[in-house]
Amino acid sequence: MIDRVLWDDWHVVAESDWLRAGETLETTLLEVPLAIDRKGPDITAVRRDGAPLHQALRYGFVWVCLGTPAHDIVDIPEFSEPGRCIVTGGSFGVHVAGPRVIENFLDLGHLGYVHAGYLGAEPDTAVPPYEVRPLPEGGIIATGCKVYQPRSSPAASDGFVVDYVYKVLRPLTTCLYKANPVDPARDDVIYLFVQPVDEEHSRAHMLVLFLEESTDAAELRWFQQLIFLQDKPILENQRPKRLPIGPGMEMPILADKSSVAYRRWLLELGLRYGTIGVPDALPDPVLV
Amino acid sequence: MSLETGRWYPVASAHDLPHGHIYRTQLGLHELAIWRDGGGGVNIWEDRCPHRGVRLSLGAIIGDELRCAYHAWHFASGSGACRFIPAQPDRKPAAAIRAVVWPVAEADGLIWTGQDPQGAPPVLGAGEVLRAIPVGRGADSIANALSALPGLKLVLQPQGPDRCTIRGIAESLSPRAADTALEALRRKLEAAPC
Repeated sequence: MIDRVLWDDWHVVAESDWLRAGETLETTLLEVPLAIDRKGPDITAVRRDGAPLHQALRYGFVWVCLGTPAHDIVDIPEFSEPGRCIVTGGSFGVHVAGPRVIENFLDLGHLGYVHAGYLGAEPDTAVPPYEVRPLPEGGIIATGCKVYQPRSSPAASDGFVVDYVYKVLRPLTTCLYKANPVDPARDDVIYLFVQPVDEEHSRAHMLVLFLEESTDAAELRWFQQLIFLQDKPILENQRPKRLPIGPGMEMPILADKSSVAYRRWLLELGLRYGTIGVPDALPDPVLV
Repeated sequence: MSLETGRWYPVASAHDLPHGHIYRTQLGLHELAIWRDGGGGVNIWEDRCPHRGVRLSLGAIIGDELRCAYHAWHFASGSGACRFIPAQPDRKPAAAIRAVVWPVAEADGLIWTGQDPQGAPPVLGAGEVLRAIPVGRGADSIANALSALPGLKLVLQPQGPDRCTIRGIAESLSPRAADTALEALRRKLEAAPC
């Protein structure tokens, strides 16, 4: 049983540049095996069982929707903005449910420990209050987040207090706008697209759009991979592997405001796939 | 096999717990994190942080506290109570935030726990603690085979329907001979059909 909200959504399943002519990339989306081929400039994704799917190439990724697309692929205006270094950050298999990966991306309290020396450091571990609101089109936005970061990007040589804004745009799509040391008027932007392989396995795909004065593609890619690989063992040691979204199953604090809002939104959607604790009393979402 | 309430089960050797190390094991279907504080006191906790579910066995021991690897919440030896949350250093953690604590006994070189265990753990007597031998069979199905090994006092740590660990002491056998005998027994048990 897979919730309609995931079945009818677009998901990243591969980076276009990784595909080589004559080689088939095999991957799985929502338990459906896929094969992706490149012939010259043409990339084709098919279901191994021959059933139809929707596909698109955008932002350097192959996108697939298994059902009927209920939304467009997320709009990323920074992608066509001049002066940005734009790289994919790699695709990482993670043995945990997709919503756990999204929640980790939103988490401010771990930066000084899991990413010590880069995105945070003792003793500056306090998480000051920040605001979380629902987005009108669904999802959430967290504003006014502030973190002291010793090395917030490859460009940073000194520590400084970094302003963050997070958005969760879809159940498994999130992004981060991050103030940078080069241009106070424009943010560095990082997108995270989580491909639900099955209920307890995910692939994390990142798109990084930083100001090009500050960095180059190789350095940026290295930095994002380092950061994600610091998170991976934490994610894979979370129990249960699915995200508990029912009340009282894990104990949040004030610093977890965005995580609480994310869980509440998933509960409102009635999302069962990759979560636990949705009460049976909720009206059944449409399942396929 | 399910765990019997009131009974003590072995879950570690005393020497598995050097200071600073967190020993990870399983009793029944419960994952446990076992550690010794600076004063020598043993803690057996559910291997799961109450905050975001990360295994506490990934954490670090500092003095008489275990710090979770994810957000470095400090949990106190003994009570399991959360004493400090670095994300909000000026607030006292709510009393409800605590690790799930299991009963502890240390006897005859082994560490014991259980669900509401009564009295003291079984007495094994004097002898060298054996290397723990994991077996890919349920505890119920191999209990009888253990009596066939003279010179050893053996006890079982059940770990779900098809797994357990043999622990115990060597009374009259050398530890090396005991180890060889137990490995042979393990191979024989695992070769037999389930």
